[in-house]
Amino acid sequence: MARKSKGRQKVAMVKMPNESNLQVTFSKRRSGLFKKASELCTLCGVEVAIIVFSPGKKVFSFGHPGVETVVERFITRSPPQISPTMQLIEAHRNASVRELNLQLTQVCNQLEMEKKKAEEINQTRKANKSQCWWESPIEELNMPQLQQLKLSLEQLKKIVATQADKLLIQNSQAHLHSQFYASTSSGAVLPFESKNGVFNPEIVPSHGHNLGYGRGFY
Amino acid sequence: MTRKKVKLAYISNDSARKGTFKKRKKGLLKKVSELSTLCGVDACAIIYSSYDPQPEIWPSPSGAQRVLTKFKNMPEMEQSKKMVNQDSFLRQRISKANEQLKKQQRDNRKKEMTQVMFQALVGNSLNNLNMLDLNDLEWLINQNLNEVQNKIDSLKKEANSSASVAVAGPSGEVKDIAPQQEAEKQASEMNMEAMQKQPWITDWINQQQENMGFLGDDVNVPFWDNNNYNGLWSGPFFP
Repeated sequence: MARKSKGRQKVAMVKMPNESNLQVTFSKRRSGLFKKASELCTLCGVEVAIIVFSPGKKVFSFGHPGVETVVERFITRSPPQISPTMQLIEAHRNASVRELNLQLTQVCNQLEMEKKKAEEINQTRKANKSQCWWESPIEELNMPQLQQLKLSLEQLKKIVATQADKLLIQNSQAHLHSQFYASTSSGAVLPFESKNGVFNPEIVPSHGHNLGYGRGFY
Repeated sequence: MTRKKVKLAYISNDSARKGTFKKRKKGLLKKVSELSTLCGVDACAIIYSSYDPQPEIWPSPSGAQRVLTKFKNMPEMEQSKKMVNQDSFLRQRISKANEQLKKQQRDNRKKEMTQVMFQALVGNSLNNLNMLDLNDLEWLINQNLNEVQNKIDSLKKEANSSASVAVAGPSGEVKDIAPQQEAEKQASEMNMEAMQKQPWITDWINQQQENMGFLGDDVNVPFWDNNNYNGLWSGPFFP
């Protein structure tokens, strides 16, 4: 598989010559900068304000507790305002930030797990590819292989339809029947969005993104 | 340089926190500087800590003042449009991460379902699939059928463009067969070799026969019926 990007490259510390690269760089680095600032505030409990003008003359700013507060403090050279009320507000804000950081960490961990899963699946597929020509990318197949694959797929399609009917019959609920046909013909159900299945959750156990493999229908 | 994963929470250990602060503050200021230089834009950073009554400023107090003035001179709305604090910034990041997660989950499901499809092609039962799975499987089969058909059509197109010239004779044919070769390049070696020697159409017929033998003996054949073989060979492709 071709590399998607060039990876980490050393860059000369001068204004970037290419206009569109400059735009992309700005976008990415600004985002990264704010992320670092956010982490600094969380980890070390400091107050920060960063103001950046974009190549397109827009202005981006990040501040904790807020851009205005920190900027005012700097401009007026005055010591920080500490009052009981302010402290209470501060405490509330910090609690909320703590929560958000936790959430963020959770989602990032989940994302990492899914990426690992993808890697594993890719590995298994690669290993199988040598034995089973039909698992190769369609681009790489020759005409007889394509013809054969086409026939087999059409056959499989019929079998899947039969199996689906079988499942429907196994269910005594009549309304499920009409729901199935509605979803397949109108294409209202997006493929692989198994979390949003239209089916009665009592009938179809919702295991999120499990395959349904190895567990019976009931 | 530690590459341990750092927990995203306030560091309670005083010396650890101070050490982290020094390092990260330095890194942050470096990043601001790089952004400003690389993109040729104005920027400033102000950092207040408990370690110093004076704030850390980039590029300098006067430089920062200049940028702040420029900032203040912008209309109120422009100033606040892209303004974020910890709260809003984290929410943005969470939302983005959730999107990526959903996409990855969707991709993974598609990959898993593809495996199911391949296994079904060699005869695995569909009994442990629920309705959602079957739905997705049907969609995937259709996707693949489309791709296969497209590839078939494009190969036919290429065959037609060089077939008329290829029939001329074995010599001086290499150039005409070249577009063919490109299409078949990824196919098995026997195709390649045969391709170079003989006219397109006869070669094809030979190739089928070789394939039949190959599939029958060595490979776990993914086909439901042997009758299908005959169906394949007498397709519209052959005279």
